[in-house]
Amino acid sequence: MSTRRDFVKGAAAVAAGAILPTPHFPLPTSNAATIRVGLVGCGGRGTGAARDCLRASEGVELVAMGDLFPDRLASARTNLAKAAAAEPALAAKYNVTDSRSFSGFDAYQKVIDSGVDMVLLATPPAFRPQHLAAAIAAGKHVFMEKPVAVDATGIRSVLASSELARQKSLGLVAGTQRRHDAGYRAVIERVHGGAIGDVVSGQVYWNQGGLWMNARKPEWTDTEWQLRNWLYFTWASGDHIVEQHIHNIDVANWVIGAHPIRAVGVGGRQSRTDPAYGHIFDHFAIDFEYPNGARVMSMCRQINGSADHVGERFTGTRGHTDAAKTIEGLSPFKFEGESRNPYVQEHVDLVASIRAGTPLNEGRQVAESTLSAIMGREAAYTGQVIEWDALLNAKQDIVPPGVAFGSLKVPSVPMPGQTKLERTWAES
Amino acid sequence: MIGRTELLWDAYDAFMMSPAPQPATDAVARPSRPYGAPDYGWGHRGYPTISVAREAAEAFCAWLSTQTGKRYRLPTEAEWAHAASLARGAASPPIDSLAWHARNSSGRTHAAKAKAPDALGLYDLFGNAAEWVTTGDGQRVTRGGSFRDAPGAVGPTARAVQDENWNERDPQIPKSRWWLSDGPFVGFRIVRELP
Repeated sequence: MSTRRDFVKGAAAVAAGAILPTPHFPLPTSNAATIRVGLVGCGGRGTGAARDCLRASEGVELVAMGDLFPDRLASARTNLAKAAAAEPALAAKYNVTDSRSFSGFDAYQKVIDSGVDMVLLATPPAFRPQHLAAAIAAGKHVFMEKPVAVDATGIRSVLASSELARQKSLGLVAGTQRRHDAGYRAVIERVHGGAIGDVVSGQVYWNQGGLWMNARKPEWTDTEWQLRNWLYFTWASGDHIVEQHIHNIDVANWVIGAHPIRAVGVGGRQSRTDPAYGHIFDHFAIDFEYPNGARVMSMCRQINGSADHVGERFTGTRGHTDAAKTIEGLSPFKFEGESRNPYVQEHVDLVASIRAGTPLNEGRQVAESTLSAIMGREAAYTGQVIEWDALLNAKQDIVPPGVAFGSLKVPSVPMPGQTKLERTWAES
Repeated sequence: MIGRTELLWDAYDAFMMSPAPQPATDAVARPSRPYGAPDYGWGHRGYPTISVAREAAEAFCAWLSTQTGKRYRLPTEAEWAHAASLARGAASPPIDSLAWHARNSSGRTHAAKAKAPDALGLYDLFGNAAEWVTTGDGQRVTRGGSFRDAPGAVGPTARAVQDENWNERDPQIPKSRWWLSDGPFVGFRIVRELP
C-alpha cells in the first residue's frame, strides 16, 4: 500500500505537469447510459448519500460498497436493502452483491476497481485525500463528503486531485449541501448582485450539544477505538470546527467570494473532558479576516445543555442577510420558492452536469473552505495569528503514517502557546 | 392532569443528559445526539421542546415515570380534544390572545406562557408547537396547530398526520427515530394519570 506521503508527492507531481493525464473516456453524455456507483465509507451519512444519489437521478445504480469494518458494511447493506424494499424506485437501482462488497483499509481501492463510473467518498476525512486521488487517477467521477482533509498536507493533495479532475473532465461535487440549496442560492446570488452593498462583516455559528460516542470495547485495538470514535481525534476528523462548522465557514467564503487571509481565535476543552472523547476541543471562537477587509466572527460549540444555533448572518453597507432565506435593507427579499432537499439536489446537479458534458468541479472550493476551518482551528490550537499562505504551505501532516490496526497514541490536548502549526503525527 | 405548558427543553435536556442505565432497555433508552440545532436557535430554556419524534416524546414520559414513580404519558387524542374544547371556553377569546400562529409568530416558536392562559389555565395549547397525541390506530398525529399555521388553522380542531416531509432532510440511513429533521413545529405536552 502506498503511504500517504507517497501519494501526496504523486499528486503534486501531476499538478506540476510532470505526469500527463492518461487518455480517458468520460461517461457518455446520453441520458440512457447507466452510471454505476460505488460507496466508500458505509456509516450513516455514506449510506444516506447512496440513497440520496439513487433518488436524485434516473440511470444510476449502486453496485459496490466498501468500509473499513465488516460490521458497518453489513449493517449498511441491510439498511439500504430495507430502504429499497420500502421504496420500489430505489430497489431497481440497488444492485450490490457480495462479490462487490469490500472491507479493510484497501476497500476503497477495491470499490474503485470494481467497474464503477462514480464513487461516493464518505469515510472519516483523514482518508479523503488518498481516496480522492485514487478515484481521480482511475478516472472516476466523485461525490465526496466534507471536510475533505484534516491538515495542510491533505489540502495540497486535494487541490492537486481537483486540478487533475478538471483536466480529465471528471465531475467532483462536495457535501457542502448549502451550495445546492435553492434558498441559499437565491439569496447569495442577490448578495453578489449588490443587494446588501459591500459585505463588511458576518457571524457564523454551529453551536449545539455533544454528539455520539461509542464506549470502548475490550477487544478493540487503539486504532479501532479511535476510528469508531473518529470525531474525537483531530487526525481523523479535523476537530469539530472542521468536521461540522465548515458548513457555515463555507457560506462565509461563498458570500464574500474569497477565502480568509488571516485568523485569530480562542478555543478549549472545558466540558467534554472524559478520555472517551479523545483530545479535541469543545468550543472555538475565531475572527476571520478577508482580503477586502471584511471580518467574520465564527463560533462553534459542542457542549450539552447549551443553547443551539446553526446559521449565518452578514452585514453589508446597504442591508443584512441570513444568507439562507431573507435579505433586509434597501433591497429586501424573502425566498418563498420551493426548496428541494439539498442532500438530494447535490446529486441531481452532479449527475446532470456529467451528462451535459460540463462536469461540476467543487474541489478547489471545498478544499479552500476546509482549509479556512483548519486555519481557525490552528489559530485556537496554537494561540498564534495564522496566515493563509503560511498554512497552505506548512509542513503540517498530522495523520499517522500507514494507519493500521494496533497501538496508536492519543495526541495531547492542543495547548495555545505551545502547540506548533508545523507538526507531524509524531509531534502531535 | 395535563401539563400547563408544552414540555420545555429544560426538562427534555435532563432526560437527554441523564446517564442511561446498563444494560439499556427500550423503555429508558436516551435520545441520540442530534447533528445540528433542533431548537433552531429560537430559544432553549423556557421554550418548548421541538423537532422530536413521537417515540421520543413517549420515551421522555417513560423516563419521567421511572424518575418520579408517577405515571406520565402523552394524551390520547380524545383527551386532548376534550381539554381543547374546555380550554377554548364559552367566551371564545380571539385566537391572537392565546396562540402563536403564522401571522404573529415571525416563523418561530416562542417562550412558554408568553400568551394568555386559556379557560382551563393552560398555555399554548393552540399554536406555538403542535402537540403529539396517541391514537387507537397508531397514526402519528399532532393537534392544535403550530406557529407555522394560519390563524384559522390553529385551535381545538387542528390536526396533522406525520408524512415523509417531516424528516425529509435527515441525511442519514437509517433516519433518526428520535429527531425530525424538518419538524420544528412539532412538540408535545404530557399528562399524568391520577392514582
